[in-house]
Amino acid sequence: MLEIGKNRLLTAMFAAFVAGTVILRLFDPATSGIFPPCPVHYLTGWYCPGCGSLRAIHQLLHGHLWAAWALNPLTVVLLPFLTWGLASFALFEIRGQGLPKPFLRAEWIRALGAAIILFGIVRNLPLHPFDLLAPGAMLGL
Amino acid sequence: MFCSECGANNADTAAVCAQCGRNLQAVTPATPLQPTPLQATGVVLAPVAAVQNYLVFAILSTVFCCLPTGIPAIIYAAQVNAKLQAGDVSGAQVASRNAKMWCLISLGLGLGLMALYAILIMVGVLSGIHQNR
Repeated sequence: MLEIGKNRLLTAMFAAFVAGTVILRLFDPATSGIFPPCPVHYLTGWYCPGCGSLRAIHQLLHGHLWAAWALNPLTVVLLPFLTWGLASFALFEIRGQGLPKPFLRAEWIRALGAAIILFGIVRNLPLHPFDLLAPGAMLGL
Repeated sequence: MFCSECGANNADTAAVCAQCGRNLQAVTPATPLQPTPLQATGVVLAPVAAVQNYLVFAILSTVFCCLPTGIPAIIYAAQVNAKLQAGDVSGAQVASRNAKMWCLISLGLGLGLMALYAILIMVGVLSGIHQNR
């Protein structure tokens, strides 16, 4: 019973991942209204660390690395590691063994969390080198 | 205790090597505590290092969904590895459950917000049709 439930959840997650990728490839979040806005930006008007990430992935799926970088450099940096981690998780659930991963020391994980928050703060600053980190600012959007 | 894989010096109680992540507890022989020699051969120890920290999902929650619920998930993910480094496996398992819980809260919140947005869109579209009449 448990195994079946687990497999269903895995299948649902995989289906959601594939559907999300296809939808993100077909529709540009910058122009299409089918994607929900970032709740943080909607409520506060501030950019969160992830603002622009869906638009960035859309650009990446079309091979536009520079446009993706301008929309959310954090996403471009993190995405390869997140993809590797997700693939590892899926393989671990399927065959009991994930992909080789280094053991991250707790200090490194805390530093990563701090870096994400810092990125969220800095991209809201109205000072010149930092304002380029706002979604699309490097493209002059 | 020196890691048999990479030679790094670790605390004697460490569950995993802080340098390379090798499971240090599985290397120590488990036979002295077991008086029955029948079970001594072929004993498969539970992989101590395989305490999930859900870091990937914590980051996904933070960046793609909900910053306020994703950050606790990252903090607990760090705590899982901190406890493993200190050799506190049961503490790591508690932190692991908390990390998982915050990831699931984020997932629920994200799905809820998406549903809310979908409803608002549909209501907006329907009222738009109504106005056009």
